[in-house]
Amino acid sequence: MYIGIDVGGTCTDAVLLDNGLVMATAKVPSSDNILTSLLKALDQIMKGVPAELIERVVFSTTLITNLIAEKKYDPVGLILIPGPGLSHAHYQYNTDTYIISGAIDYRGREIMPLRHEEIQNAVNNLSAKGYKKVAVVGKFSVRNNKHEKEVASRVKQYNPDWQVEMGHQVAGQLSFPRRVVSTMLTCATRDKYSFFVDSVNEALSRRGIKGTVYILKADGGTMPLSKVAGMPIETIFSGPAASTLGVQALIPPGETSVVVDIGGTTTDLALILSGQPLLSSRGARVYDQLTQVRALAVKSVPVGGDSVVERVGKEILLYSERLGAPYCLGGPMPTPTDALRVLGLTNLGNLDKACEAMESIGQPLGMSCNDVASYVTNLVVDMIVQEIEMMFLQWQQEPAYRVWEVLQKRKERPRTVVGVGGGAAGFITQIAARIGCYPVIPPYARVANAIGAAVALPTLQVSLRADTEQGYYTVEEEGYQGKIDKDPFSEEDALLLANEWLRKRAENYGLETMIEKTEVTRKDVFTMVRNWVTTGRIYDICVQTSRGIMGHIGSRGGF
Amino acid sequence: MNSDKTGLIFFPAFDWAISPTHPEREERLLYTRDQIFEEGVMDLPQIKEYAPRLATLHDIARTHFCVPRVQSQVTEAHLIAAGSTLQLGDSIINKEIKNGFALVRPPGHHAMRVVHGNRGFCSINNEAILVEYLRRRHGIKKIAIVDSDAHHGDGTQDIFYHDPDVLFISFHQDGRTIFPGTGFTHELGGPGAYARTLNVPLPPGTTDDTFMYVVDNLVLPVVKEFQPEIIINSAGQDNHYTDPLGSMRFTARAYADFTKKLKPHLAVLEGGYAIESALPYVNLAIILALAGADYSYVMEPDYWPGRFKESPDRISNVHRMVDQLLETWEKRDQVDLQKIFGTGKFYQRKKSIYYDTDYIEEDQLEKVRLCPDCPGYIVIESRAERGYREPVRIFAVSIPFQACNSCQSEAYDLYEEFKRKTERSFDYLYLQDKSTDTCISYDKKKQKEWITEG
Repeated sequence: MYIGIDVGGTCTDAVLLDNGLVMATAKVPSSDNILTSLLKALDQIMKGVPAELIERVVFSTTLITNLIAEKKYDPVGLILIPGPGLSHAHYQYNTDTYIISGAIDYRGREIMPLRHEEIQNAVNNLSAKGYKKVAVVGKFSVRNNKHEKEVASRVKQYNPDWQVEMGHQVAGQLSFPRRVVSTMLTCATRDKYSFFVDSVNEALSRRGIKGTVYILKADGGTMPLSKVAGMPIETIFSGPAASTLGVQALIPPGETSVVVDIGGTTTDLALILSGQPLLSSRGARVYDQLTQVRALAVKSVPVGGDSVVERVGKEILLYSERLGAPYCLGGPMPTPTDALRVLGLTNLGNLDKACEAMESIGQPLGMSCNDVASYVTNLVVDMIVQEIEMMFLQWQQEPAYRVWEVLQKRKERPRTVVGVGGGAAGFITQIAARIGCYPVIPPYARVANAIGAAVALPTLQVSLRADTEQGYYTVEEEGYQGKIDKDPFSEEDALLLANEWLRKRAENYGLETMIEKTEVTRKDVFTMVRNWVTTGRIYDICVQTSRGIMGHIGSRGGF
Repeated sequence: MNSDKTGLIFFPAFDWAISPTHPEREERLLYTRDQIFEEGVMDLPQIKEYAPRLATLHDIARTHFCVPRVQSQVTEAHLIAAGSTLQLGDSIINKEIKNGFALVRPPGHHAMRVVHGNRGFCSINNEAILVEYLRRRHGIKKIAIVDSDAHHGDGTQDIFYHDPDVLFISFHQDGRTIFPGTGFTHELGGPGAYARTLNVPLPPGTTDDTFMYVVDNLVLPVVKEFQPEIIINSAGQDNHYTDPLGSMRFTARAYADFTKKLKPHLAVLEGGYAIESALPYVNLAIILALAGADYSYVMEPDYWPGRFKESPDRISNVHRMVDQLLETWEKRDQVDLQKIFGTGKFYQRKKSIYYDTDYIEEDQLEKVRLCPDCPGYIVIESRAERGYREPVRIFAVSIPFQACNSCQSEAYDLYEEFKRKTERSFDYLYLQDKSTDTCISYDKKKQKEWITEG
């Protein structure tokens, strides 16, 4: 039996799955002390089920995302080593930032040395301002981490109690500005994350659950909870990923669908293309900050059932804020939920109150209660439909850097619009009609996120870059940098090495069974020619375990 | 929608090479990729990245006579490089972006009107294909192309030699010292487009100061006076001081300064084979200059200001050449064209063209109809020898988009006449009518004709 739990800001949702069937669900309000709500949710779904039968528990959470949104974390100081390139005026991160000398180039060669007095000066200043957390990030540190390591060790030497994070360990892909943000957020949220892990372990041990415990990542894969401690920001955005996987499990395999998750103040959109959730081509955006976190392509639209509706002059406008519950539920302002109530598309709240809300807007414009309600509903539908079209357009226009990628560009249209979340029922039919699809509200849509967590599978990936001329290789996901000890080092050797690292990673995470089926997602070979002589090769290889979910709800087979 | 964004198509073709060790190989834009990705250029608010697209075979046939047919000369990579240029052209005209950079390979500025094979690493001319496309699709007439590659842009020059509405300026390393061995000051365009082609051959070793002198005193004033609707820069980067094929001494900073001054609507990557020491820095600097961002922090690791000095003698030679070219430009409408080009119904020139990549030797006779009402149609007879193989002979007629009715009908008659001829003096016949966007090719042996219309 499997358990999926989604710890959100307002609700904690849980499901119990057995043999592809949903055995029990729970939805409890999240308490300040997450332990209480976890226990409550567990008790609801495990009534009469012995704890020994639970093989696996998967968590997803938006706690880290919420912390970032509310800026509830200790300040993190920055020591950056950007070297030549973009103007340093670009590096503004709303915190004390020290830019020091030193530079590494794209091949990992040092082109400008560090200056120790600058490091010391930065540390002294950070210390004087009371910082205890520091992120050290260099441009091209993923090609050579020497500078970052040296600066970090000096910081530690002066202040052994400080928490220091290095860019190359957090974010292995190219993009210095995103690496800075990712490293800073990792540094900021690490201890909060450990607190979450402790609460989860405490709850499970109190209920005697001994199955393996995983946490969902933003890309829809899972990791054993105990091992992720290093990478809290990989779990940001696992909330939307959970709903998307949930829908994937609740619809037939191979379907192309738009997932519309309408909540109180935001609507999350995601795409499932031929049965596979679409991954974002760059890293996730966390509020206004761009990170390098691999994530499903989820778009948040600032509109939901509780958004405020107001008349301004002769116009009816929709605002992204929430000022409380909908009017029909005792709130202060008219909302789209009131409109749905008037039109009979929801049973929530009091009909008279809802009519009152709509009339208050419509009267000066000479519009009836019904007219206003359809107008407001249309506003919401317009906004969401527009964003859906944009998402498809963006997906079709994603850059391609290889001939085969350009040639295989697909145009695909969705067949269904799948609604989950509280506000979905009222809007989904109209949204689907507008883009020519079938509306679907699957059973258990209310807890799709918890189902998504329950069916998610571990993923492992290794991106290997080997430069035979320089004689070293790097493993992006590990921040590892090592010597190539074979000469000549062929394409097959590189592939073997990548697979060996994948195996090593799998062992570290206790996921040996996962690497039976792996796939090569990238294999670029670059011949280096200098002065008309071939001097080496660069291999850029990515291997991963296959993506997917355990199975589809109701299909019975396999899980 | 009036946008102030800079459009970028980055197409490094990581799976395409002329051959594994050729300068035009997968590795060429690898370090440029590393640099612009690591800098986070694609995330800058001023930058809008576009996906590449494929040009159609007709887009190519509108510009080139590919022998025997378009599909036999181009690979998919060529169609993508050309298509990317068209994509940015569309976006500029639609005002989605204010300018753009097609950071694509393979390059194109050595590809001439007739294409028997690959020369100077080029098969089809991306800029020329764009020009004909902009005219057909968007009604653009006057276009300036400034070629900043170290090699003379002989392909682009060939295609627009008789076109009075295309200004072509190329500054490059002196043709006596580098491929393709042309691009001298006396190459000034045909009788209908005199001084619309300007060549500035620079001595090997030329530095930033002289580069800027040419830009400030010739390129900018001439372009300004020409009043083009669109400015295109063939942004070759082999004038860089580290280039292995060129012998010039320009820096990344100077390329950016030039871009900032010229303000091209579109820059299209051409050559540049110092793939580590130049390209990452030059490309980054050009992108930032186009985007109006600060590029003063971009610097090659081994450069220091004042590193290169030039002899005063050579500087004054260049200054003299610039003065003369400017005078030619200013007096372009006062010269006696009959004295230079002669009289008669046609002006003709013979060309001998070498395809260095494919080892083809082409002999070409190009005739342009001297017409008082339009730039006149062009007739080409060409014969290409490739080793011991049977030579290929073609006959081609090109009608410009500005053609008058009588030139158009004369050209069609000529094509039909050659098609009727029974003796096989030519293997393939072509007709390109840019005024109606019709391209016809005829295979004498198979007696088969293909027509495409845009």
